Amino acid sequence: MNEITYIHVLKSLLLVVVAVVVSRCWKVRAEKDMVIGTVRSFVQLLAVGYALKYIFEPDLLILNILVVLVMVTVAGYTASSRIHHLSRPFPLCMIALAVGAMGTLFSLMIINPDWLTARYIIPLGGMIISNSMNATTLSVSRLVSDIRSNRLEIETSLSLGKSWHIATKNYRREATVTGMISILNFMKTVGLVALPGAMTGMILGGAEPLEAVLLQLVVAYMLLAATAVTSVVAVELTVRKFFTTHHQLVIEE
Amino acid sequence: MNSSSIIVEARSLSRVVGETSIIKDFTFAFESRNIYSIIGPSGAGKSSLLRLLNRLDEPTSGEVFFSAVPATDYSPCELRCKVGYLFQTPHLFSDTVRDNFHYAKPDLTDTDINRLLQQVQVNNDLLDHKVQTLSVGQSQRVALGRLLAVEPEVLLLDEPTSALDPAYTEAIEKTIMALVEKNGLTVIVVTHHPDQALRLGGTTLLLDGGRLVEFGSSEQIINNPQTESGRKYQARQLQ
Repeated sequence: MNEITYIHVLKSLLLVVVAVVVSRCWKVRAEKDMVIGTVRSFVQLLAVGYALKYIFEPDLLILNILVVLVMVTVAGYTASSRIHHLSRPFPLCMIALAVGAMGTLFSLMIINPDWLTARYIIPLGGMIISNSMNATTLSVSRLVSDIRSNRLEIETSLSLGKSWHIATKNYRREATVTGMISILNFMKTVGLVALPGAMTGMILGGAEPLEAVLLQLVVAYMLLAATAVTSVVAVELTVRKFFTTHHQLVIEE
Repeated sequence: MNSSSIIVEARSLSRVVGETSIIKDFTFAFESRNIYSIIGPSGAGKSSLLRLLNRLDEPTSGEVFFSAVPATDYSPCELRCKVGYLFQTPHLFSDTVRDNFHYAKPDLTDTDINRLLQQVQVNNDLLDHKVQTLSVGQSQRVALGRLLAVEPEVLLLDEPTSALDPAYTEAIEKTIMALVEKNGLTVIVVTHHPDQALRLGGTTLLLDGGRLVEFGSSEQIINNPQTESGRKYQARQLQ
C-alpha cells in the first residue's frame, strides 16, 4: 500500500479551497462552516487516530463499551442540537440511538463473536452511530415540521373521533422514510454509482475485492437495520410529545 | 328547564393559556334538539369554548357533561363522535368525496354516503369528484356531511358560513335547521353575524372576554340586550 503522509493531506486541502471559493462565488454562505468543519475534522481525526492506537492495543471490552457510549452521547447531542421547535430533544435522541445504534451493534457481535474486538467494534460502531444520528435528526425534524404545518388536518381527524395514532399515520410514515432515505438510496445504487467507504478502504488497504464486498454487505444491512430502528423509535417518541393522553394536539409556539 | 333534555352542560368552565384567561367560569346547559348561536366580539372565546366542548382542549378548571355523564368518563374519541366539530376552514382529505366519508366511517356504503350528501344538499354526482375540484361552499357541506357520518348527537359549527356567499350561506342555514328539526340534532353555531343568529332562531349566547354575559332568545339578545356588554356589541354591529 502506498504510504499517506501529511504532505498528501496538505495537498488535499486545495480541494477545500475550491469548495470555499465555490461557496463564496455562488453566495452559499457556507464558507465559515466549511473552514470550521475542515479544522475540526483534522483535529478530531488526528486525535482519534492516536486514541485508537491506545484503545486497539490493550483491547479491553470495558474500554470499547466506554468509547461507544461516548460516541452515542456526542451523536445524541449533535442530533438534538439540529432539531428545532421541540422541547428537550436530547433524551429522545439518546433513547433512539441507544435502541437503534447500540442494538444493531450488539446484534452484530452476536452474529460474529470474532468481531468483539476494538478493531471491529469502534469502526463499525462509528458507522452505525453516525448514520443513526443523521436518521434521528432527519426523521424528527420532518415530523416536527409536518405536525406544526398540518394542525388543521390533524385536528380534523381528531374531531372525527380518530386517535392521534391514526391522525398522524401518514406523517409518522413519511418521517420514518426520511430518516432512512440516505441508506435506501445507498442500497439501490451501491456498486453502480460509487464503491462504498468500507469496501473502498479495504481495497485500498490491499484486501481481496470479494472479501471487501462481503464486509460491505454486512455494513449495508447493519446500517439499514440501525437507521430503520432509530428512525422508528425517534418518530414514535417525538409524536408523543405533541399529544396529551386525551388525544389533544399541543403545539408549543 | 327539564334536566332530562339537557345534552351538553358546562359547569364553571375555565381555560387559561399562559397568563391569559380565554374562558372564564362558563356555565350553561344546552338542551337537545335546539339551535344555539354563540356571538361576541373577536377574541371573546367563542371558538375556544367549542374546542372545550369537543375536548380538543382541556379546561383549566370546571367540567363538561354529555348526557349527564362527565365528558371525562368517555374516551375522547367516543366523545368527539357524539359531539362533532366542524372547523371554520374545513379540511378535506385527499382524494375523492367518497374517500372522505370512508375516512370518517370505513364501512359506509355508497347508499349511506348518498343519503348523507342529500342531507347536506350536495349532488350525488360529486361522489367521485376530487376534493380539489369542489367550490368552498361544496367543501363546507361535504365536510358537514362527513361529520354526520360519525352520527353525532351535537354539532359544533365554528363560523360555518364565514367564507360563503349569501346563496351558500342560506343553503347551509337551511341544512342546519333541517338537522335540528328532522334529525333531532343539537347545533351550537359560532357566528360573527347577529343576523345569522336571528335567522337560525333558537337561543343566543353572548360571550365577552371569555365570559358568558347574556343569553336568551336570539331575538332578545340581538335586538334588546340587557347588559352593558350586549348593548356595546349591538352598537358595534350597527356601525
